[in-house]
Amino acid sequence: MQAPDSLIELGFANPAVAFAPFESMSSKFAFEVLGATSSNGRTSVANHSNDPEEPLVGRPGQRLDWSSLMASGQAGDTDAYRRLLETLTPYLRSLAVRRLGDRSDAEDVVQEILLTVHAIRHTYDPKRPFGPWLIAIASRRIVDRIRKRGRDYRRESALLEDDETFDLSPANLSETALDARTVREAVNRLAPAQREAVRLLKLEEMSLKEAAAASGMSIAALKVACHRGLKALRKRFR
Amino acid sequence: MIETPDLIRLLAASGSPVRPLRAPHVRAFGWLAFAAALLVMLAIHHGLRSDLDTQLGRAGFVVSIVASALTGVLAATAAFTVSVPGNSRQWMWLPVPALVVWLWTVSYGCLTHWVSIDPEGIALGTTARCFATMTLASVPLSLVLLVMLRHAAMFRPVLAMTLGSLAVAAISASALSLLHDLDATVLILIWNVGAATAIVAAGAIFGRSYLARLSPSLTSR
Repeated sequence: MQAPDSLIELGFANPAVAFAPFESMSSKFAFEVLGATSSNGRTSVANHSNDPEEPLVGRPGQRLDWSSLMASGQAGDTDAYRRLLETLTPYLRSLAVRRLGDRSDAEDVVQEILLTVHAIRHTYDPKRPFGPWLIAIASRRIVDRIRKRGRDYRRESALLEDDETFDLSPANLSETALDARTVREAVNRLAPAQREAVRLLKLEEMSLKEAAAASGMSIAALKVACHRGLKALRKRFR
Repeated sequence: MIETPDLIRLLAASGSPVRPLRAPHVRAFGWLAFAAALLVMLAIHHGLRSDLDTQLGRAGFVVSIVASALTGVLAATAAFTVSVPGNSRQWMWLPVPALVVWLWTVSYGCLTHWVSIDPEGIALGTTARCFATMTLASVPLSLVLLVMLRHAAMFRPVLAMTLGSLAVAAISASALSLLHDLDATVLILIWNVGAATAIVAAGAIFGRSYLARLSPSLTSR
């Protein structure tokens, strides 16, 4: 008995044959899905690609038998096994993209399918068709990914406009900007000499020499005015 | 993330020879043979129930024991079959008819008799002795089945383990029916459903982490 359910999960089911015997149904679908042909109980893959000008498997007319490749792989033929995995990948990718849409997700799933195929390759019986075996594994991993995606979506919420921020620092420093304005207003209310001294020495961070040159005040007068200005500001903000 | 061609290269390089699994019914037969051997050993050690001759004359007892044994055989076959990719999950219905008949014959049996209090003092009741026999029967069966179905962790862990636990429960119940005077079905089902839940939970956790472990071990080569 073969599996139609995995194919149905993947969306390949044809309702017209839903009541057909499992054996014929699964093989038929597997061959249809994988672009494979069956002869003597074996699954052979014909050239099959989205672009008929560019066959994925070998040269035109050439057939690659996945079942035989897997049997060789099980026996330890690493070259046959590598060829099998390489030829499976485009089909798995197309299945995953069709079901998941997202190419990046699909590539992750393809890798998970390849890992599963590798881990349980001993469960494949070379006397049976390869298609249903592969599709069952692929279906399982794709459904797992869809469920995971559903769980992730439930945990996440849409980003509100209020949460948005900008990469320019002034946009993210509103509190600092407000503080600076208050300080400037307080400085403007100081006596003219104190205001000038605080502006030059503290806000514009000039040296005493530069501030003296700019204001025409002596260094001692600047020091006294700045000291008194700061004292007045401190009193105002207390 | 590793590139797919690199992953293929690594997988191919680690493609050591593997022996394909035997057909599911052959593997189920192997497990059932082990179960039968275990049952024989328990019977030799414990002895058959004293009223077995009388019970075998009762239609209810015969139906119950045949139904539980059949449930065990069919559930084991179904467990081994669904654990192989490419086989239909509809196989899970295989043991259901026998299970229905078996459950129909269930009685509370030794579920309620944990401790016996009599003039000679407090002693372990039939339930405790049932429990001991059941543990002796079901733990080895569960462990062997778990090892034989370990590949299902990557494919259908819940279904395979549920069917496997049902097989263990049914076989254990058959064994106890032959060994103990009271019907232990409810006790066995409660025990095995609990065990099945634990196994399935472990399978769900370790099945995924196995895949995750496999991936770094390949990518780190």
